Amino acid sequence: MRIMEAENIIEMLHITKEFPGIIANDDITLQLRRGEIHALLGENGAGKSTLMSVLFGLYQPEAGEIRKNGEVVRIKNPNDATALGIGMVHQHFKLVDVFTVLENIILGAETTKLGFLQKKEARKKVEALSEKYGLKVDLDAKVEDITVGMQQRVEILKMLYRDNEILIFDEPTAVLTPQEIDELMATMKEFAKEGKSILFISHKLNEIMAVADRVTVLRKGKYIGTVDTKDTDKQSLSNMMVGRPVQLQVEKEPAKPGEAVLEVEHLCVPSKSHKRDAVHDVSFTARAGEILCIAGIDGNGQSELVYGLTGLEKCSEGKVTLCGHDISHASIHHRGGDMSHIPEDRHKHGLVLDFTLEQNMVLQRFREPRFQNMGFIKQGEVRKYAETLIEQYDVRSGQGPVTIARSMSGGNQQKAIIAREIDREKPLIVAVQPTRGLDVGAIEYIHKQLVAERDKGKAVLLVSLELDEVMSLSDRILVMYEGEIVGELDPKTTTVQELGLYMAGAKRMGKDGEGA
Amino acid sequence: MKQGRSNLLEKDSTKSVLASLISILIGMVVGGVIIVIVGLGNPNLGIKGALDGIRLVFFGLFSTGRVDNALTFGFNSTNMGDMLFRATPLILTGLSVAVAFKTGLFNIGAPGQYLMGTAATLMLALGIPSEVVPTPVIWVIAFLGGMLAGALWGCIPGLVKAFLNINEVLACIMTNWIAANLVTWMFEGSNFRNLVENTKSGYIYKTTYNGVQTAKLGLDKIFPGSQVNAGIIVAIVMAVLVYILMNKTTLGYQLKACGANRHAARYAGIADKRNIVLSMAIAGSLSGAAASLYYLSGNTEFFWSTYQSLPAIGFNGIPVALLAASNPIAVVFTGCFMSMLDIVGMQLTNLTAYNEYITDVIIAVIVYLSAFSLVIKMLLNGRKKHKIQAVPEAKAAAAAPPPDNGGTAEGKGGDGV
Repeated sequence: MRIMEAENIIEMLHITKEFPGIIANDDITLQLRRGEIHALLGENGAGKSTLMSVLFGLYQPEAGEIRKNGEVVRIKNPNDATALGIGMVHQHFKLVDVFTVLENIILGAETTKLGFLQKKEARKKVEALSEKYGLKVDLDAKVEDITVGMQQRVEILKMLYRDNEILIFDEPTAVLTPQEIDELMATMKEFAKEGKSILFISHKLNEIMAVADRVTVLRKGKYIGTVDTKDTDKQSLSNMMVGRPVQLQVEKEPAKPGEAVLEVEHLCVPSKSHKRDAVHDVSFTARAGEILCIAGIDGNGQSELVYGLTGLEKCSEGKVTLCGHDISHASIHHRGGDMSHIPEDRHKHGLVLDFTLEQNMVLQRFREPRFQNMGFIKQGEVRKYAETLIEQYDVRSGQGPVTIARSMSGGNQQKAIIAREIDREKPLIVAVQPTRGLDVGAIEYIHKQLVAERDKGKAVLLVSLELDEVMSLSDRILVMYEGEIVGELDPKTTTVQELGLYMAGAKRMGKDGEGA
Repeated sequence: MKQGRSNLLEKDSTKSVLASLISILIGMVVGGVIIVIVGLGNPNLGIKGALDGIRLVFFGLFSTGRVDNALTFGFNSTNMGDMLFRATPLILTGLSVAVAFKTGLFNIGAPGQYLMGTAATLMLALGIPSEVVPTPVIWVIAFLGGMLAGALWGCIPGLVKAFLNINEVLACIMTNWIAANLVTWMFEGSNFRNLVENTKSGYIYKTTYNGVQTAKLGLDKIFPGSQVNAGIIVAIVMAVLVYILMNKTTLGYQLKACGANRHAARYAGIADKRNIVLSMAIAGSLSGAAASLYYLSGNTEFFWSTYQSLPAIGFNGIPVALLAASNPIAVVFTGCFMSMLDIVGMQLTNLTAYNEYITDVIIAVIVYLSAFSLVIKMLLNGRKKHKIQAVPEAKAAAAAPPPDNGGTAEGKGGDGV
């Protein structure tokens, strides 16, 4: 036992953390060995992020202790954590939007001389790190102008820059491309070889099996067990996590495409940061009863395409027809009449985080006579509606309809958005990375919902960066590369490798093969 | 189910109230400490003077003067009534700031909106011939005119923010000074200037000159000897209306959604730009109403050459709103508290050897520290274990900033009345 202890660089013993109405961590023990990659697995709201926030000093546990190298330490704030060599990449990035990438990386660990910033040295160090680990970033770009995937790299570089020896990755692969994920996995293994210890929060069983040495599983705030990855498999891990047998494959009947719901002709959307269009001359048709997937590496115009369709950005050219109406220049409100939208950034566009869950549930619908009378909100109706949705879509939260959205776990926030959007019963559902950062249980659920909506005769436009999702869920795949559609593929006949070639821009179809 | 919710709400609101009370107490205690220090350093005051000062800080509202060189206390109708009278504009500017806060905006433009409201109200109240139009009608027109002027002035920072994405604080500060100069220019050379009564120069006629005055509704019978009038009732009604607007209507829902997350609101099809302008217009109209009620009372005069100063009532709306945690109903009480401090200040000056300047400093310190209610609430929300340690910390933190209160004191100095 003594030898075991010496091996552990970090021990979290019997940690208990409560929030109003919910015990996020109930007597959880986690032991991280030196130089290992230790995965933390659990459903949304299982308490993984909370546990890591305790380790990082963001929360103080009600009970339990943390030891480093066998000695009890008290981590009162992130500065204490940093001093102990603990670094963390958060699920929702903690970056200053208006600062440049470099400024963000050095923030809080600036090299100074007589009070002046020594950016040159910092730049050299960051450049070396980004070179070494293949984490390419534009150091002078402002964070608000770069993609979510890039922001993730900035977060990882931030941690590397601080020479942390204990690295916490809170779902780091959610937004990376398959190639990038492979690279990150290799990088993580290299870290481990160098003697760094890694805590890796992920829902992706593939990744855990590929990279982790051991896995600790949490479920609903409780500790379920710790297993060696070599003694287990994906199915038993997911069963441990969810507490019931989970279906890992999407089951669906062949699609029966009907009428065109959404027709896009020669659409162009200007880019904010470049002169050339973010979306250039894109044409396609989404039909009722099919799931049309836009695949591509992050930052190839998918986000802007969706902005153009939903009205968040103005289209410079082209025509968008939804259910027979030209909506190219319609307002967001007007477009919402026939379109549901599960946005990419659930915090920015999906929810008003300081509103309660019930207020968020009626964000688009509060004007309907059902929810208001002469401009007065019918609180009772809103409550009833929210309770129905919460029950029907199993949205878990501390205080039900009056829970502040900010206090909910990421997965349940996403479930709330999906409940709201699907329940609006619109002919077109635009879903952008709907399963980003979610666990297998929730992914299974969301996939089933989308297939069910398809079978009801809705058109589903899915934008996804996850190859597995693209291959298993879609009925038709369009690949975007540098703002253009470079290929249309049938998931039944194509392979992941071929898809990858299109995504990387190495292969493209002739003009005649483009569009629908 | 419903009970469960109201219990939870109560919990949070109880915390807010508690936080505000604690910060008021901290403010008064620190004010008391300053009184003692000043008292001991001044041979005219000494320990006895300091003790008198402290008693007045806490119970000044109930002071009834001095008998045989000892302070006497009891119900003082003049003080009570004057407190309500002075609270009226503070409640409304407090509401103005609170509405903006709730919608994610910082309305530091209340002084400018207040000035524009003042100008519109006075011009309408004095300009409409009372021989032709009945005075109650003039009153209503002047009141609505003041609100409209405030609303239009509030729109400017709103428009600039919505369409040019310029920070509203910047635009508000600039429009404040534009208003100060504009109002001076409008009255300079106008025949609203009071040249008849030669006792004072530089003032505009009281509205009573044209027979326009806020009704007393018997309040002068309840609080004899005071300036109180029905304006306080109007202010309370407006607080209730604002509460209903913000919490019960779809408009309030939209305004708050835009304030809390403009992107999500826009994305849900809510017209974010319109709502930002509307928020500022509502805030402005409340500041305008503050001015209307103050100057329509009939016993207040406006010093028209105001281009070098901004009305303190406008700025004092900020601590009123902060102390109330932007709750419109709580604003009524915090507004009364602020005006009570005014009364306390007068009592200190009149009944002790503390002069009006040190009184202003003490009052400013109390106002300043009262605004710490948010910090206190955060501490209350923290874990109970931390609570005991945290309160002394808060005191230490609170004790440090007084040198900064120059801003508040300056604001007070700028009062045009």
